[in-house]
Formats: sequence, structure tokens, C-alpha cells
Amino acid sequence: MVTSLIRRMIQAAFVIFAMTLIVFIGINVIGNPVDILINPDLNQAERALVIKHLGLDQPLWSQYLSFIKGLMQGDFGDSFVYKRPALEVILERLPATLELALCAMVIAIVVGLPLGLYAGLYPERISSRLIMTGSILGFSLPTFWVGLMFILLFAVQLGWLPSNGRGETAMLFGTPWSFLTSDGISHLLLPALNLALFKTSLILRLTRAGVQEVIMQDFVKFARAKGLSQSRIILVHILKNLMIPVVTIIGLEFGSLIAFSVVTESIYGWPGMGKLIIDSINLLDRPVIVAYLMMMVILFVTLNFIIDICYTLLDPRVRLEGKG
Amino acid sequence: MLYSLTRRALTGSAILLFATSAVPAIAQEDTTLSIGMAAVITSLDPHEDSNSPNNATSRNIFDSLINRGGSAENKPQLATSWEVLDSTHWRFKLREGVKFHDGSTFDSEDVVASLLRARDKESKAFASYTRNIAEVTADGPNAVIVETTVADPMILNSLSRIRIISSDYADATVADFENGKAATGTGPFKFVSYTPGDRIELDRNDDYFAGPSEWSHVTIRMVPDNGGRLASLLAGDLDLIEALPAEGVDRVESSDGMHIIRGQSTRLVYLGMDVARDQTPFVTAKDGSALGTNPFKDERVRKALLMAINRDAIVDRVMRKNGTVADQFVAKGFFGHSEEVEKVAYDPEGARKLLADAGYPDGFAMTIHGPSGRYVNDSEVLQAAGQMFSRIGIDTKVEVLPWSVYSNKYSDGEYSLFLGSWGVNTGEVSNPALAIVAGRDAEKGTGRYNGSGINIPEVNALLDEATSTLEEAAREPLLKEVSKLVFNNNWLLPMHYENVVMGAKSNIIYKPRGDKYTLAYEVHNSAKSE
Repeated sequence: MVTSLIRRMIQAAFVIFAMTLIVFIGINVIGNPVDILINPDLNQAERALVIKHLGLDQPLWSQYLSFIKGLMQGDFGDSFVYKRPALEVILERLPATLELALCAMVIAIVVGLPLGLYAGLYPERISSRLIMTGSILGFSLPTFWVGLMFILLFAVQLGWLPSNGRGETAMLFGTPWSFLTSDGISHLLLPALNLALFKTSLILRLTRAGVQEVIMQDFVKFARAKGLSQSRIILVHILKNLMIPVVTIIGLEFGSLIAFSVVTESIYGWPGMGKLIIDSINLLDRPVIVAYLMMMVILFVTLNFIIDICYTLLDPRVRLEGKG
Repeated sequence: MLYSLTRRALTGSAILLFATSAVPAIAQEDTTLSIGMAAVITSLDPHEDSNSPNNATSRNIFDSLINRGGSAENKPQLATSWEVLDSTHWRFKLREGVKFHDGSTFDSEDVVASLLRARDKESKAFASYTRNIAEVTADGPNAVIVETTVADPMILNSLSRIRIISSDYADATVADFENGKAATGTGPFKFVSYTPGDRIELDRNDDYFAGPSEWSHVTIRMVPDNGGRLASLLAGDLDLIEALPAEGVDRVESSDGMHIIRGQSTRLVYLGMDVARDQTPFVTAKDGSALGTNPFKDERVRKALLMAINRDAIVDRVMRKNGTVADQFVAKGFFGHSEEVEKVAYDPEGARKLLADAGYPDGFAMTIHGPSGRYVNDSEVLQAAGQMFSRIGIDTKVEVLPWSVYSNKYSDGEYSLFLGSWGVNTGEVSNPALAIVAGRDAEKGTGRYNGSGINIPEVNALLDEATSTLEEAAREPLLKEVSKLVFNNNWLLPMHYENVVMGAKSNIIYKPRGDKYTLAYEVHNSAKSE
């Protein structure tokens, strides 16, 4: 397992290296950050000073080299826009995104898995058909539209929940969290539901398909013939066997929730990382973009690794060493 | 139906709330104001970055020597009066008895420290305001002398931009301001907390020298998403929002508990044309062959283009009244506005004739460029203008680009006809004229955004004189002449000034400012006595 971890880390390092190159060159192609960042009222001499201060007077390769040099010492550089270390700017947004993603994922699993199981076990019932139809809606309605509808219904018309922002926060481990206060939870609910809708449908449909596949297999028939209780058959034999694809999806979708919940964060004014990255791209804030993408590569590599460990727990036939 | 019922119930209870709280307790009752800003601030350090959201926000906590009014007029704030000693020395008398939020007394040391800190910061954000400041010296505890490198007529405006911090924090870092340690000013509100990208919480400064605010607590939310900001207003979470999106205008107008607040800003949107090159890259004959000439060099063609645009219709329909038709750099009432600028009316027939006179009876073909998402409805405005050009026989293709791609290409003059804009943040003509029509001169720093390549010796000379003349009375005719020369020769095609459009609850009274700032201290509550 350790060798597998090391191998992945080496792979990740290569991906990160390639990505920093792409971002550096890419942003250079899009435009010059200077034209966006610098106050238009400055004259040429003052512009030159600021450009020098930002390090943008150097040729690209030398900017890249000094970036790599800083990276070796754990320094991602200062954000052009916020004038603070890029990593710090990103990390202070991390808790907000993390709790939103976790909350959405919990909703998706708690709702999606049982409903999918039910729909798979009793496909003929009307309620199952309703669930499946509903899941199509969850799939196909665009997130931003549903988000706005939620706001219109729950915040504007009914006035039950706040429309925007993070609400009151409480400190835990030195960072503010919304889920620790009732006001925070009321703010968290709508964006989490909005994000969870698509994921719920995905998990639901995957679970249902898995159930229908597994239920036909011989070991289920045998278990039934042996006289095992229905709940044991479902919980141990069926559920465990259909979990591999579901766990894969949960892991990957969790990653994408953290990395790409831009739309929901924008609509609900949730001060998370998704919003930050879009703003940074628009402002060509290169240090933040690079640091963010590096974090995301590491995040996905780590998630994949955790998924693989879950495989071995779910299915003893899977061995990490044998896989590439 | 359900909607309007809850709405009414909500505002009913809101009014009741204000009514009960407005009983004798003078200015000490609890009143909370929530403002929805349309942009995100990048720093709470008032000297780190100079952009509208930052500068507007810092005014809640900090004061300046000079108070800039809504029409860009200079009024006393921390300086009570000032006098010109000679062409490069100004003496400012400071307000006495003013205290910082931490209890320390404000004096000349703080002014010296603040002005020098703004000048010497590595970000150089305030360089355009501090570049002429040679030295600042205390003249006793209650006066300062500012020495400028050259005679600078804009020094009062410049000083109105620089916030005064306590000299104790002259060496404070950006982080010190953002965690509140150094964020102690003399302004109407005290710092409570700041969540980057989300909100700033402020408490009233009961000892504010100009009298305490009507609001005991202010929350400034940063909600750049149009839909989200509108929804928060409709849901009653916010009392006042900036930049009410066009799709929300009807909704807010028809609702009982809310109203729209409109005002004119000093942001001019214009069309620039390449008037420098003999052949311009994006203009061809209709069959795609080279034209041989640059039609924009002919004044008649420029005028024909302006006559072709129905600016009233653009303001009315494309901008949905969120703009006012412009004829020159600044609107009437601002410094340097000229009455002698001839207004050009919409006249497509006349435009065709002018084109024919200029030697283009069949028109020509061109591609025009503009940004998307930078100015209010920018791409829609450009498309509308493109269609109107086509109607007078100029085949027009419209290309819009993201701002990050567009910005340096247009300022470098790569396009033939382009949409540009300038926020006239000094409220007078020299600021836009120096940037967008003065001849480009790296040494003097003029014409940085002159993407049209305009270079008129007469205008350059007038601007040179205006920027070194201290007496307002002598400066004004110079700037009026600049306006007249530029717009009567159609060197730029003025489109409109963007309007300030805000949405608010009915009890909120606010007079929008030319610089588009939303200042909590200037927001009033009609549910109170007046």
C-alpha cells in the first residue's frame, strides 16, 4: 500500500509540474495581468515600478524559475489582487467550501442510497416509478435555475430561509464554521440542497442499477434459499456488492463538489473557493490560479487513493499492489 | 398573490419596528442597515489598492483631509480650511478634538504618516494622487504643510482620496488591517469584523465629529451575483443594493415595500475610432478588398457614424433607462462641461449623405470590437450600434471579447472602431482628456488609454496649461475649450453616461453619487423623525 501511495504521489508531481507550465504559458497567452491589475490613472514610470514590484518585468521563463524556486520552500507567491500569500487566500475559503460539499454529499447519500435501493428492489411499484421520474428531473434541471427557484420559493415567497451568505459562524480548530450555529445551518441548507440534487439522482440511479444486477446473481438466490432474513440479504449481500461503483462515484463527485461548485457559490453568495477561482481567472491572478489547481490535483489524487482503500475493504479480491 | 401578501406583511412589520424604535431615545436606538455591494473588495488596507469598491468601503471607517461630495466637490473633513502659500505649498488647518476609534487623539503626525504611507507603498496604487507630493510636514499639532513638486491644481481632489490612519499603524501590514488590529480610523463607523469575499460588519462611532450616523450597526455584504443580490433584496435580507439588475427593475418598481433609486454617474461610454493610421486593419471595401484610405480620418465619416446611432433608443431599450445620453466628457454641472458642444441628433438620411460627400456613397465594411461584461450591457450596446451602422450602408460585424483579452488590445490601438469607457473619477475634464484624447507621451504619462491615436497639438497644449494652472477660474475655460475641440470635431463618439440604479426598501433614502460609492453614513431612514 505504501509503494502504491508513493507511486501516486510521483504521478501527481508530474501532473502538477505539467499543469504549472500550462497555466504559466496559458495566462501569458490570454493577456497581460498588468493591464487588468494596474490603476489606469498611473503614468508609465509608475506602471514600471508596480510591474517590477509584481515581478512581471522578468521574461516568462525567469518568472517560472523563481516560482519553482519559491515552491521548493513552500511559497506559492503572493496573490496579485489580494497582495497576500496565495495559499493563505485559498485556505481561508476552504472551510466554507468544505462544509458545503460535505453537507451536500451527506444529503445525497442519505437520500439517494435508500431510495435507489428501494427502487431497485421493487421496480414495479408506482412509488419506485415516481422516484425514478423525479431523479430524471434532478439530473436534467440546470443547477443555476434550480438554485434561483429555491431562492424564489423558500426565501422570497415563503421567507423560511435566508437567500444569501454564510450567516453566523462559530470557531472550531481556529476556523469559522457555519454548521455549528442555527443561523449558519439555515444559510447552509439551500445551497447544500441545490448542490445535492444532482448528486442524489446520480447515486440513486447507480444504486438502483446495481441492485438489479446483483439481485439476479446466484449468491443472492442461494442466500434466499438458505433462509436468510430479507434485511440481512439486502444489507450485507446486495449492498456490499453494489457499493464499488457507488463509492467510486461518491469519491469523484465529492472532489468535483469541492473544486467546481462555482455556480452554486455565486448564486448563494457563499464565500468559498469556487467563486475565488473564477474571479482569479477573470483578473488573471496567476499565483492563486496555480496554487488552486495544484491543490485540486493533490485533492483528486488523495480521493482516488481513499476510494481504492475503500475497494479493498468492500471486496477482498481487490489488491492495491497489483494495480497501476 | 401569495407573494404580494407576504411582502406587505413583511414591510408592515418593518415599519412597525421602526415606529416603535423611533420613540424618544434620540440617536441611540438599535437600527441595522444591510447594504449589498455589487463588487468584492480586495483589501481593507486603505492604501493598498485604489479601486472603487475599496475606496468606497474605506470611507466608512476612515476620513480624509478633504471630503469629496457626490458631485466631486471638495468639502472640509479632517482639514477645516486650507490656504495656498505659494504655487507649490499648501497649508491645511486640522480639525481639533477628533478621536480615533481606539481613543487616541488625531493630530498632524497622523496626517504626515498617512500621506507618506500612501505615497511610498510598493503597490503604488495611489501614485496618481501622490505623485506630486514632495514633502508633508507638521506645522504644530493642528496644521500640516504639503509641498508639491509642481503647481498641482488637482491636489485637493488627490487629498480627498487618501484616508488618514493613526500614525501608530504606519508600518502595519495588509493583514493587520484585515483582522481589525490597525483598522481604526476617525470615520463614522468602527470595524467589527471582515470575512473576505463575504461581508464587513461595522458599529456606529457615537463620537463622530459630524454627528453619529442614524444606523447603530451596518453590514456590508459583497454579492457580485446579480440574481443573488436581487433575491436578497426581495427576501428582505438586504435594505439597499447597488447595481439593481435590469431584470429586477419591474419587480422592484411594482412592489409596495421597495423602490428604485436612480442617479447619474460620471462614467462615460464612448466609441473610439482609429484616426492615426493611413490604413486601418478592420475596415475594407464591401467585397473584402483593401480600401486604400482610412475613412475615420475624415471628419464627415465620424459625424455620419454618430448620426447613424439612435442613442435615445439605446439608452431607453438596450440600457433600459440605466443610462443618460452623453454629448461630451462630463454632464452639465461638472467642471469643464462646455455649452458650445453641438448636439448631434439621430439622422440616418443625413448620415448617408455625409458618407457620400466623403466619397463613400456605397459605404464600406468593418469589424467593431468591444468587451463583454465590463460595462453595463456593453455587448448589447455594441451590437445595437453595429446594426445601426449597417442601416446607413456600412456592413458591420461585431466582435466582443472578455475584458482580460480586450483591455490591452484596445489601449494599444489594435482595433479600428471600439467601445471604450472612462470613469471620470475627479469629476472634471482633465482626467478623461489626459487619458483618452491627449497625445501619447510616455514621459509626461499622457494618452495611456488613447486607443484611437488622437493627437491634436491644440488640445495637448491646452491640457498642458490646464494641468499647471492653480486658479480654478483660469482652468475652467481651458478645459471647456478641450471639450469643444474634441466633440465638435467628433474625435470620439460619445454614447452615454452609465446611471447609478439601486434597489432599496421604501424607508431608505439615498442620493446616488457621481462616483457610484455607497456610503452608509449618507443613507437615511425615512421611518425616523424627518
